[in-house]
Amino acid sequence: MSASTALRNVLVTHGDEPIGRRVVKALLHDPQVGKVFALGEGAVPRAFDHFVAESPPRFVYARVDLAKHRSCVDFFHSGRFREAEIDTVVHVPGHAARGTGRPGIAGVPARTAEARLVLHHALETASVKSLIALGSAFVYRLAPGNANRLSEASELNLDPGVPSEIRSWIDCDMIFHGEVGADRLRVALLRVPTVVTSGGYVYWNPILSGPPGLRARPIGFDPLCALISDKDVAKATQAALHSERSGVFNVAGYESVPLSVVGSWTGRPGLPVPGPALGLLSAVAGWLGRGASLSGVGGTELRFGFTLDTRRAARELGFRPHYRVGLARAGDGRLRLETSPA
Amino acid sequence: MKPPRPPEILSLDAVPGESLGVPNGEARRALGRDPFASDPVSDPFVDRLAELRGTATPPLPEPTPPKTAPPEAREPESREPEPDSLRDSGRESERESERAWTRTPRIDEIELPLPSGFAERLLDDDVRRRLAALTHMAEGGAPYDRFGFSPAAAQTAFPLFHALYRAYFRVRSEGHERVPVEGPAVLAANHGGLLPFDGAMTVVDVLLHTDPPRLARAVVDRWAGTLPWVNVFFARMGQVVGTRENVMDLLDDGQLVLVFPEGMDGVRKNVTQRYRLQRFHVGFVEAALRAQAPIVPMAVVGSDDQAPILFDLSELARRFRVPFFPVTPTFPWLGPLGLLPYPVSYRIVYGEPLHFHEKFGPDAADDPQLVRYLANQVRRDIQLLLDRNR
Repeated sequence: MSASTALRNVLVTHGDEPIGRRVVKALLHDPQVGKVFALGEGAVPRAFDHFVAESPPRFVYARVDLAKHRSCVDFFHSGRFREAEIDTVVHVPGHAARGTGRPGIAGVPARTAEARLVLHHALETASVKSLIALGSAFVYRLAPGNANRLSEASELNLDPGVPSEIRSWIDCDMIFHGEVGADRLRVALLRVPTVVTSGGYVYWNPILSGPPGLRARPIGFDPLCALISDKDVAKATQAALHSERSGVFNVAGYESVPLSVVGSWTGRPGLPVPGPALGLLSAVAGWLGRGASLSGVGGTELRFGFTLDTRRAARELGFRPHYRVGLARAGDGRLRLETSPA
Repeated sequence: MKPPRPPEILSLDAVPGESLGVPNGEARRALGRDPFASDPVSDPFVDRLAELRGTATPPLPEPTPPKTAPPEAREPESREPEPDSLRDSGRESERESERAWTRTPRIDEIELPLPSGFAERLLDDDVRRRLAALTHMAEGGAPYDRFGFSPAAAQTAFPLFHALYRAYFRVRSEGHERVPVEGPAVLAANHGGLLPFDGAMTVVDVLLHTDPPRLARAVVDRWAGTLPWVNVFFARMGQVVGTRENVMDLLDDGQLVLVFPEGMDGVRKNVTQRYRLQRFHVGFVEAALRAQAPIVPMAVVGSDDQAPILFDLSELARRFRVPFFPVTPTFPWLGPLGLLPYPVSYRIVYGEPLHFHEKFGPDAADDPQLVRYLANQVRRDIQLLLDRNR
C-alpha cells in the first residue's frame, strides 16, 4: 500500500461550529489525514480561508442540513462526496439550542435526527470504514452526591422524566452504541463532559450552555463539573481516528471544578434559590424567553455532579488530555478562562 | 439408593436472617474460625466452595508481605494488575490501573508552610506539616480532586475538628501503626451517634498518626448526598458517596477508604443496642477483594454514647422523608441543638489487618457466599475490639 492511499479522508459534521471547526483544524494539520470534508449549515468559516485556497485542495466544505432526510440523501449520493472517497466520518453534534429547539423529522429533535441519518448513510456508503461520534457524558444516571465517578459501564439515565436536552443526547448515544461491535463499521463513541474554550465559551452543558448571564441553581448544592478543552476534544477525536478500537470511551480534561466556579469563570454566575422556587423561576424565565436551557433542565443535573473515569480511553485510544483550563489575565488586564498546554 | 441430602443452612453467629448454604457438609459454625489459621490448600471452606463451583480448588496467589515500613523510594509507581483481576462480573475489564497511586510526602519532606489564619496558628508544626501534605492529594496541585475534595477547605476546617479531637472528645488512639503506610486499604469501623463525629474523629486520627500523612476517605450514605450544604461540605472534606464506582476508583488509586458497614442501621440503633453491631453491608469486602486491599477492622468506642437514641419514630420519619426520626434525652426537645453530641471520651482502636485478597484472590469477589462470610469475619473482629475496649 502506498503512502498516499494510507492517508485518511475524513468527513466532519457541523464543521462550521466551534467544536467542529477545532476538529477540522486538527485534522488538517494531521499528516496522516488526506482530505477533510466539512459539513455545515452556514457559509465557509473564515478560519478555513487558508485551507480552501490550498492547491491541490485538501479541504472541502458543503452546506447540508443533516436533520433533513432529503438534504442528506442529496449530499451522500452526490458526485462530490463519492469523489472524496471518505473512509471515516466524524460526527460532531450541533449545539444545545439547535439540538432541541428545532424539530427534525416528525418532531424528533434535530440532534437525534442527525445522528440517525449520519449513521444510516455511513452504513450505506461502502467506502466508509469508521465512524467516530462525539456524545455527552450527561447521559449517565447520577447518584446523589456532589461528585460521582462514572465509567463507561455506568448506567444511562433512562428515566422517562429526563429533560429533553439530555434525552436527545441519550438517544444519540444509544443510536451509535447500537452499532458498536458491528462488522460493517468501526464505531467509536466519545462521551465528553462540559466543553470550554478560550474566552469562556461553554458547550454541551445543559445548564451553562447558551449566552452568558445569571443561572439559577438550588441553594445548598454545588455539583462538581468535569471539564474538557475544545482542543482536547479534537485530540481525542484524532486519537480515535488513528486507533482501530471500537467502543464507548469517556474522555475528559484534567480539571473538575464546582459548577459555581465554572459559572464565575465563564460569566455565568449562579443564583442560589430555594429548591421549590427553582421550578417557578424556570417557568417564568421560560415564559420570558430568557431561560431556554434552564427551563428544560431537571433538578438532578443542578444538584449532583460527576467526574469521568477515562482510563479506558487512555489505555485503548492512547488519549491523555494535553490542555489545562483556568483563569488567565488577558491583554486587556481582565481575567478570563484560558486553555493552555499542560 | 439414598436420596441426596438437602443442603444444610448454617446460621452465623448472632446475625439473624443471614445464612450460608453448604451442600453435603456437616453443620459447623461459619464464624469463629480463622481463615488464616491453616494451610490454605487444605482449607475445607475453600474446598467446599470449589465443589459448589464444580471445579477443583483454584490455585491461590502467593501472599505478599504486608507493608509496615515507610517506603524508601518516593517515586510514584504504577501497579500492574494480574490478568485475573480484570474480570468484573461480565462488565468490561476496567480494573486495570494506569495511574500512579496518589501519595502524600513524608513528614520530614514537607516544608513548614506559613500559617494562613489565626486558627492555624494554634496548631503545632507537626500538625501543620500534615495539613500541608493534603495539597498533594489533588492531581497536579489542582484546587479539587475528582471527588470534590478541596485541600484548602480541609485546611480551613481542620483546626475546628482538631480542637474537637483534643479537647471535646479527648480521643485516645491505639494500634494506628496497623494502618498501611501506602497502597489501598479499607478501614472498617462501627457506626453510632446521630451526627457522624465518629467518622470525623477517625479521619483526624489517621491524619495525625500516619507518616506519610494519609487522608481516610470516608464513604457516606447516599442520603447525605441529597442534603443541601451537607453534600458540599462532605465532598470538600474528602468524603465520597458510597457507590461501587467511587469506592473502586479510590482503591485503584491506592487510597485509604473508611467504611461503616452497618450503614444507617448503626446510626439509628437505640440505646439498648449500643456497641452491638448491626447487619453488615458486604460491598466493602467485594471492593477490597477486587482491589487487592487489606481490611483493617477498627472500633470507635464512645460514638454510641454521644447521643443515645431512646426510640425511633418511624411514622414521623416517613412523613418527613428522612431515614429515621430519633428521640434522645435532648432531641427534639432542644431543637437542632439537641443533635449535638455529649462530650464523651472517644477511644479509637485499630485491629490487625485482614488480607483476604491474598488468600482468596480477586475472583472471590464474584462469590456472594464467600463475600458474606468474609464480611462476618470483619464483623466479628470489630465486635471483639468493641467488647475488649469498652
